[in-house]
Order: sequence, then C-alpha cells, then structure tokens
Amino acid sequence: MTGGRTDSFVHLHVHSRFSFGDGAADLGGLIARAGELGMGALALTDHQGLYGAIRFYRAAREAGIRPILGTEVVVETAGIEGMEGDLPPRERLGRPASVGFGRASGSGFHLTLLVADISGYRNLCRLLSRAHVRSASEPSIVTRADLAELSGGLIGLSGCPNGEVGAAVSAGRMHRARTALTRLAACFAPGDFYVELMHLLTPASPHYIASLTSLAETCGLPVVATNNVHYLRAVDARLHDVLSAASARMSLPGPYERPNAELSLKSAAEMRRLFAAHPGACDATLEIAERCDLDLGLGEFHFPAADVPAGETARSLLGGLARAGLEERYRTPAARRAAHERLDHELAVIGDLGFPEYFLVVREIVEFARERGIRCSGRGSAGDSIVSHVLGITDADPIAHDLLFERFLNPARRQMPDIDVDFDSARRDEVIDFIYRRFGSEHVAMVATVNTMTARSAVRTVARAFGHPAAEINAFSRHLPWVGAHRLREALATYPECANHPLRDPRHERIVEIAEQLDSCPMHLGTHLGGFIITREPIDTWTPLQWAAKGVVVSQYDKDDVEALGLVKMDILGLRMHSAITETVELARARVGEAAVPEPFDLPHDDPRVYEAIARADTVGVFQLESSGQRNLNTRLRATRFDDIIAAISLFRPGPLEAEMITPFIRRRHGIEPVTVPHPGMATVLADSYGVIVYQEQVLLVARAVAGFDLAEADSLRRAMTRGRSRAEMAEIRAHFLERAFERGVSPEVAEEVFRQLEGFAAYGFNKAHAACFAVVSYASAWLKVNFPAEFAAAILNNEPMGFYTPRLVANDARRHDIEIRSPHVNESSARYTVENDGRAIRAGLRDVHEMSARLLAAIERERAVRPFRDLADFLRRTRADTAAASNLVRLGALDGLGVSEAGRSPTRDEMLAILPELKATLAREGEVADDVLVLAPGPVRPREDPAHVSGWLPARRLSAELELLGLSLTCHPLDLAEDDLRTRGVTFARDLRDLPDRARVRVCGVRERAQTPRTRSGRRTCFLTLEDATGLLDVVVFEDALARAGETIVKHRCYLIDGVLQNNHERGLAIVAEEVRPYVVRTSAGTPVRLRRGVPSGPMGPSLGGAGAPEEESWEAAG
Amino acid sequence: MGRNTAIKRYEPLPEGRPLDLFDSAEGRRPVVLDLLSTPWLTRASALVSPEDAGVGRRVCERVEVAWDAEERSPRGFVRDGRFQRVAGVVQTWAVDRRWWEPTAHVSRRCWRVLTEQGGTYDLAFDRVSGTWLLLGILD
Repeated sequence: MTGGRTDSFVHLHVHSRFSFGDGAADLGGLIARAGELGMGALALTDHQGLYGAIRFYRAAREAGIRPILGTEVVVETAGIEGMEGDLPPRERLGRPASVGFGRASGSGFHLTLLVADISGYRNLCRLLSRAHVRSASEPSIVTRADLAELSGGLIGLSGCPNGEVGAAVSAGRMHRARTALTRLAACFAPGDFYVELMHLLTPASPHYIASLTSLAETCGLPVVATNNVHYLRAVDARLHDVLSAASARMSLPGPYERPNAELSLKSAAEMRRLFAAHPGACDATLEIAERCDLDLGLGEFHFPAADVPAGETARSLLGGLARAGLEERYRTPAARRAAHERLDHELAVIGDLGFPEYFLVVREIVEFARERGIRCSGRGSAGDSIVSHVLGITDADPIAHDLLFERFLNPARRQMPDIDVDFDSARRDEVIDFIYRRFGSEHVAMVATVNTMTARSAVRTVARAFGHPAAEINAFSRHLPWVGAHRLREALATYPECANHPLRDPRHERIVEIAEQLDSCPMHLGTHLGGFIITREPIDTWTPLQWAAKGVVVSQYDKDDVEALGLVKMDILGLRMHSAITETVELARARVGEAAVPEPFDLPHDDPRVYEAIARADTVGVFQLESSGQRNLNTRLRATRFDDIIAAISLFRPGPLEAEMITPFIRRRHGIEPVTVPHPGMATVLADSYGVIVYQEQVLLVARAVAGFDLAEADSLRRAMTRGRSRAEMAEIRAHFLERAFERGVSPEVAEEVFRQLEGFAAYGFNKAHAACFAVVSYASAWLKVNFPAEFAAAILNNEPMGFYTPRLVANDARRHDIEIRSPHVNESSARYTVENDGRAIRAGLRDVHEMSARLLAAIERERAVRPFRDLADFLRRTRADTAAASNLVRLGALDGLGVSEAGRSPTRDEMLAILPELKATLAREGEVADDVLVLAPGPVRPREDPAHVSGWLPARRLSAELELLGLSLTCHPLDLAEDDLRTRGVTFARDLRDLPDRARVRVCGVRERAQTPRTRSGRRTCFLTLEDATGLLDVVVFEDALARAGETIVKHRCYLIDGVLQNNHERGLAIVAEEVRPYVVRTSAGTPVRLRRGVPSGPMGPSLGGAGAPEEESWEAAG
Repeated sequence: MGRNTAIKRYEPLPEGRPLDLFDSAEGRRPVVLDLLSTPWLTRASALVSPEDAGVGRRVCERVEVAWDAEERSPRGFVRDGRFQRVAGVVQTWAVDRRWWEPTAHVSRRCWRVLTEQGGTYDLAFDRVSGTWLLLGILD
C-alpha cells in the first residue's frame, strides 16, 4: 500500500463536515484529493463520533484508498489530580471550546483515536456510547478508566494543541505535559500510543514541536506527524471560519480565531518539508496506516433474535404461521389453492435467503399492535409479498392486484428486505415501548437523519457568521425558494419572487459565494421519525450512540449507514390518518351503535357513493386523494373501482408525472385515443392501465411476456434500467433483452419498440404494492367521509397536523357539507372537537384556544361535572383562569349567553371583556366575588354592534377573533363578508365554475391555502395555487410568464383576485390558468381589513393545529 | 533527534586562541542558525512584540527578493542598494487573518532569515498585494 516510501505520507487527523461546525471538507472531496495526491490511505477523525465513518469507509474503498476510521474525543483531564478549577489561576490551562454535536458535545482536552481492526471498531463504538449516554446529565467526556478498558484495537495519538499534552507544552507546563502523556499512554498497549506533532506554521510551532519531541524521547514514546486537517485547500479556511463561528453562534472570527490557513490536506512533499528535521514522524504515519486494516464485513446481514420455540426453526415457524394466516385471508378453495402455491414459493425464497427471522420479528410487532387494538398497516414493496399479507402485515391482496414478490425480494440479489409499517400515531409509543421491552434497551436505538443545508439555511449560516442582525438575516433568507445552495445564484437571478431580493445587492456577493459552497453541508443530526435499529448483539458494539434532543438514544448513523452495516432497521411510523380513522369509528359508534359501523379496513370495496365522491373531488381529508393535483386527477379519472384508486395514487407521483403518463392513461380510459401496444403479450399485462406502463411490477410482466425473462431476471433488468447507467451499459442491457425477444420470435421492430417503452418508463413507474396498501386506507377514509362526515371532520381536526390542508379549510369543507361548526363553549365543549345534533354539527374543542393551559382545561372539565358555569364571575371563581385565557374565551364566544346584565339580557363580549380585569382583581383581593358583580357595571363599553347576536359583535369581528385565536373561521368564510363587492367585480364562485364552458374567461377570488412549484420535466417553473372561496376550492395554474409578473404578489399576500382562462374538460380537468394575479383585501363596512389566517402561535397546549401553528404575517398593503 | 546538531558538534577552542570562538564566518553560521532556531533561548528583542514571532525593530518596507524555487524560500534581497544573500532560513510561518474585512485582511507567508552579513531579517510575501515586504530587523 503505502509501503514506507520516504516521499509518502498519510493524514491521520482529518476533520470533515461531520465535525459539525469544526470542519469544512466534504467526504467526497477529501477522498478525491487524497487520490490526486497519491495517498494510499486516509483517516477520518471527526469530533466525538463516527457520524460520517460508514459513508467514508465505503467511498474510500471504492476509490481504492484505505479508510482509517477514528475520532477525536474529549478526554478526562490526566495531568493533574482533581479538577482544573482546583489549581491556582495562573497554573490553569485554558479550556478548549466545546466540540461535537448536540448532547454529544463536550468541552475538555482532545485525544485522537484510530481504529486498527474490528475489535477496535467495536471498542470505539462502545467507548463513544459510554461517554455520550452514561447518563442524561453527565458531560460527554471519555474517562481514563473507560479508555484503559476499551483501548484494544485502537491507536491513540496525543492530540492537537487542544489536547492536554499540547496545551501544557504551549503553556510551558512541562511537568504537567509529562504526567498527562504518561497517564494517557498507560491506557494503551505498548506501541499503540503516539505523540502527535503538528507544524501549523505559527511562530510558536518550532517550540511546540521541539518540546513534544523532547518529551516523547524522555517518555520513550514514538512521534507521528499530522496536520489537523479541517479543509481541503487553504482557500477553504474561510468556509471553516464561517462554519465554526456560526455553529458557536458567534460572528467571525468565531471561537478559534485561527492565525492562518494551514489546516489543509497537504501533499506528502509539503508535510515532509515541514517535518524535514523529523522524518521518522512522517514514516510513522505509514506504519500506522499499515496497521489500520479494518474490515467491517459489509454485505452480511445481522438480524435480531426472533422468539422461536424449542424444536422449531425460524423457517418452520414462519411457514406454520403463514399457512395459518392464509386460511384466514383466503376463504374459497380456489383462492386458497393459488395462494398456497405462491406462498410455498415465497417461503422457499425467504428461507434460502436467510430472512425468516426478520419476518418473524416484524410479525411479532404487528401482532402486538393488533392485540392491543392499535391500528396499523404495512406499506411499500412489502405489499408485493403474500407472506406479508397472510401474516397480517399488509392489507392489499397481492394475487388480486397482480403484485409480484420478485419486486420485493429478488432471489437473484441478496438485499436486506425492508418492511415499513404505519401505526396509529396516537398510540405509536405503546409499540415503541413494546420493542424496547421485547428486545431490551441495550439492543435497540433510533436511526439518525443527517439534515443538510439548503439555500436558505446556508444563507442564514453565512449571514450569522458575518454578524448581520437577526432582522437582516431573516430578510436574506425569506422568499428564497427551497432549492439546494448550489442553485442560489440561479434562483436569485431567475425566480420572480427574488426580483427584489436583498442578496442581489453586490455588497452581499460574499454571502452568496460562501453559501453556495455550503451546499448539502451536514447541519445537524436529527432523529428519524420512526426508524429503529434492532440488533442481536449489544447495539453499542455496532454503532456509537448518543442522546437526541428529544431525549431518546439515537445512533450516530443514518439509515443508509445502518443498511450498509447489514443491521435491521424497522420503520415504526406514526400515521395520523390511522388515528383519525380509529377516532371516526369510535365517534360514529358512540352515536349510532357498535353494529352500525363496520371495521373500515375490512369493507368490500364496492360502495358506488365512495367512488362518486372521489370522482367529484369531494376528498378533503381523504388519505392520499386530497391534494389539489390529486383532486384534479380524480375528476379526470372518474374512479369506479378499487383498481382506479390504486391508479390515481400511483399516477400522481413525481415519476409518472415526469414521464407524462397521466394524459395517455386518461385519454385511453375515456376512449379519446385507442389502446395500442407493440406486442400482444403487453395487452394482457397492461390491460388495467390501458397499455401504459404505470407500475414497476408491469415492467417485470412485460419483460416476461415479450422476452421470456423469469421474474427475478426481469427485476434485475428493471433495477439496471432504473439506476443512472452509462450509454455502454444500457446498450448491453438492450442487446440482452433483444436477443431474448428474438429467440421467442418477436420481430426486431416490435422488440425495439417494447424496449424503448420499458426504457422510457422503468425509471418512472410506481410501486403498485405501495399504492395498493395506501388505497386500502384511502378507501376506508373516503367511506367514512361519505357515511359519517361530521365524525370524520371532527376526527381530522382532533388529529391535526395531518394531511394537505389547514384545519381552517377542513372546517370550512365540513360546513359546505351542511355541518354546522359551533364555537367553543365552556359549558358544551370538551378539549377535543365533538359531534353534536345527531351528526349535523361539530363543536370546536377548547384545546386549540390560544393561551389555553392543561390546568385550565382540567379545571373546566372538573367544575362543569359539578354544575354548568353560570356567568363569567362564576367561571373565573371556579377555574381561576388567567386573564389572557379568559379574555380569549370571551372573544371566541365561549361564554356567550351566560349571566344577566343590568339590561336584563346576557352581557355582550365587550361588556364581559370590560369587567374581566375588575373581576380578576376582586378575586385576587378577596378570593371571592359576589354573584351580582355584573350588575355593578364598569365604565361605558362599546355599544352593541349587532343586537341580533348574543355576542353583540358583527360577524367580521367575530371572524377575526376566531381566526386570530383559534385559526378557524367558525362564523363564516372571510369572503362571505365581501360577497357583494365580489359580485360587483364580476367574480365567479368556485361552485359555479363547473357549469362554465371550457376556455371561458373568468375572474375568481380566493384565500391562498397552498402554493406549490414542483419540478417539471421542462425545467420551467409553474406554480399551482390552491385557493378557497366561500363555496369551495379553486385550483389555479400560474405558468412561468404569468408567474414572472405575479410571483411577488403570490408570496407576499394571502388573498387574490385572479383573471384567467377556465380549463374545464375531461382530459385536463377543472382549473384556471391565471393571466393576472392581484392582491385582494377583505374589508368590513367600516373599511377595516379582516384577518384571513391564524395570527398567534400555538399556546402551551402545543402545536395542535397543523399549518396554523405559526403566526403568519398579514399584509394590508394590497391594492383594493 | 537532529536538533542543535551544530551546537553539539562545536569543538571547544584549542588552547592559545582565547578570544575567537570560531575559525571563520562559515564555521560560525551553523551554530548561529541553531541558536536562532532553538526554542529554548529567547532574545530580548523577541520579547518586544510577540506578534509575528516577535521582531526587534518593526519595519514595513517593500523589498526586492530573489526566490529560490528549489528550496521554496528567499535566496536573497536588496536592501539599501545592496544584495543581501541569505545564508539560512531560521524559521518560517504563515499569517492569514480577518479575510472578511477588506481593510484588516492580512495574508502573508513569512521567513526569518540569516544573511551572510550576519543580520537576521523577517521577510514576508504579502498575498493580498502580491509584494515582498521586509517586516523586521533583528539585532
């Protein structure tokens, strides 16, 4: 390898961006640069962890460079007895800045550790885990005792100038340096500890190196040269300065104030020149690299232990359980025969691949959920397997829907199977608890996610480092599209919403320049939503662990790393739709009886009312079918059977959209164009999709029908076509396909055409099994919406945030279904939304009221159980509600109609608000208020605006309060208030659009619900606006030319008046193509603007209202 | 370990030559270089300003420097019209600070050299202006 050549050198102390703030080199760059410099090996020693280790290991090996894994840890002080603070001030060494990420960060002296072999890797994982998760409160520092116990297979280097030895030498405390060195070296086997020399080209460097070499000589330890690499080239020092300053929340120069830019990946010649007087220190790098020969055994699988009774094997147990399940799932003899045949095949493959334990473990978890009544369903390609189906993991029948096992598990490729299961999110924690109990907490950890920088975060990082004030930083990042940082300049130059962006000012050129270089830079480590690693051996021998911010133990590896290691990752995902479905069923059963509401997942998929509702796009809240694009597709597709729902879910996906499959599918479905296929075999296998290849499974079937591939071969062909292939590789695949087709007598033209279609669609097709699993949930939710609309809407509102729309729109949609939405009331509401008036009304819950606290909620429910509240004084006296919460409840009408004022009627909201402070003061003073206090009216209050309403408030004022404090419009839709003005302006309402002819010119007005600018094949930007007026939803398409004019208006305003052309035909569906977009402000008769969105953040009860949780800016600057 | 080899090799003077420590300038130079490089000795002048490794007298003059591409260090420089040939490099260091402030940005590669005349000078190549500077004269 590096073989002791005197012109060679190996960098053994290297930080990448996975040092989170203290490293600017990306892994790919490091490996490429090491390759350019002819280095045969390279180490990665990020702070406090192995975050980037597995991806580095794989990439380096692929590049032919020996990867040396390691880390730079913070280690317990060794050179003195006791604490640093016990020393007299003049003798103390400066404590280095804190390093590492999150709760694994630590402050103290550094020590470099390198992995020599697999035992060293396991020891390092354990050492790091012990340091990080010893207890939630202790700092992340490696103790000397742990180091001594777990140093086998590790090579220690004394560290940088922030190591205790280096720091003591720099401070001239030679005795301390010597003590520290001796004690640290004693933790390692003889010959495994080196004194680390760094020539950082500072004026003090010669002194530093001379002192350390002398010390090493005295202690009889070898020396080794490193360069403490933090970036690739000198010019990248700027990036490093910015990252370290920003991560320390400081402005430049940041916490280190480095004197120069010498921490780059220098060539062997440069390193040897720097250490000309110590050639042995450079030679030592080669010796160490030779010793570090780690084989992680990638490609092997390590399953957790399934519970197999004595006398059984995992394989036999799985077979038994599957056959028993099959009897449950398939009731007719014919169906059972076909199912048995397929099951035997699948069991044989699963057994041969060695995966039975994995299936058993998944089944065990699903079984637990079912026993507890926790709704769950499998998703993804696992739906292609009948074993998953009969074990109860997935719900869609793979035989009925032509789902192919080989798409899930290809016997020709031994790949880790991946079964994802969604659980009722409200009860997911019970499942997680079970997993920890069943496998033991020392065998389970959560998977990490690495969050990387986008244009916005990169700009914020750089601007913060440059010391810009917060308001300016916000202005820089606001209105930037969600694109990668490398496209920042392009976005600023071409995106209409960036036309007046402050970053276009040449003074900020440097921010843009540096932000661009931070593209995809790891920013922080998150916790995967539901990914758990379960191991047979203790998990800390596989991966370093640490505390995540949310208080769970998380691996330092992400899902790809975990998969590469061959460990089992289980996705225990929480699906709020499951919670909503369960709650809808409970609410409905409470109203109409247990027997009247069947289990929605077991329904036959044959209710025409469900398909009609889907076809008219009445799908707000329906799983997977509610987005604006999906609703548009629903109207065009006009589903009549379950397979149509699968098609609808599959077609509205990035792949099929990009390959423009929708248009031929719809045209052929409605007979606008004929169904043509190049080969008769395709007609059969593509019959469901009218000759269009929509599903990945169909690629396999076509390859089988035309070229006679078996399904495993066909799946390999599909995978080969899917990945980015070179022209030569694709030519090889093509030749193979054609040859096989010719052998079957297929003519060259036909074979060529079939291959062209496969090539065109293989990469874009959607996994039918995944769509089929989702379609079961979609049908169940649509059925509930059709049959129990009030319960369904209440359940959706109770489980927010979920779905595509805000709670405001869900409530408005319910109102359009003739369900009354009632204001929260202290005598009627519970914490959650409830159904009243025999399913014709929904009562808003108190939980979502701004400033509501858990204490107050409990007090209201407790007191109300005794007797209803009589009036405001009674309410305050019994609940001790604070002024803010009480005032919000009054403003929302939660006390409307309670009490009697001196006018002989209920007090208005203004009257209650006026007396509230006095009541609170009396309560505070005397602990009691008299019942007649309302009679002692305070000073004059606003006269009643609306004598007809108990609140005394006009609808506009009530609405504003509702939107502000609850995020919902209970009284009416905001545009109801402007109905006359809109009519004057010639506006067409949503409900009337369907009756207008195609290509009619229309003017519409709506409040923005969503604005999306998805990637399109042409690369042009098109904005899809979902607006809502009082009568329904409006889908507006703003093409690039109109967007250039309207981009800023769309971003900065909430409500628009839009002129455009109506598109209303079977082929394209119902939408408005915008030509002009102008802002519109809803005003009261007094000219005051009416609020359109929630105006306050979530209260102490948490962000229960999705999309409405954050305060939103309201812009009143619109033209009238 | 290769440190202070010239000092270690220095032979005490033979008897009868009590005043001259060295035979010649050539004989003296390696020892002086060792002394200048050694971390154990600090000259009084170096204490004046710890910045830039400490210089006796701080100047900031543009100078013309002859570059030795092979050694990657200055071969000599012209001062007061005279070419000062470099006898040896005592130390080299780099400074790169405050790049984000155009007026305060310093980016230099510095060499402390011993000339054949026996003077010790700090030379720097200023990367910002692309010029050579004489930064310090040590006595």
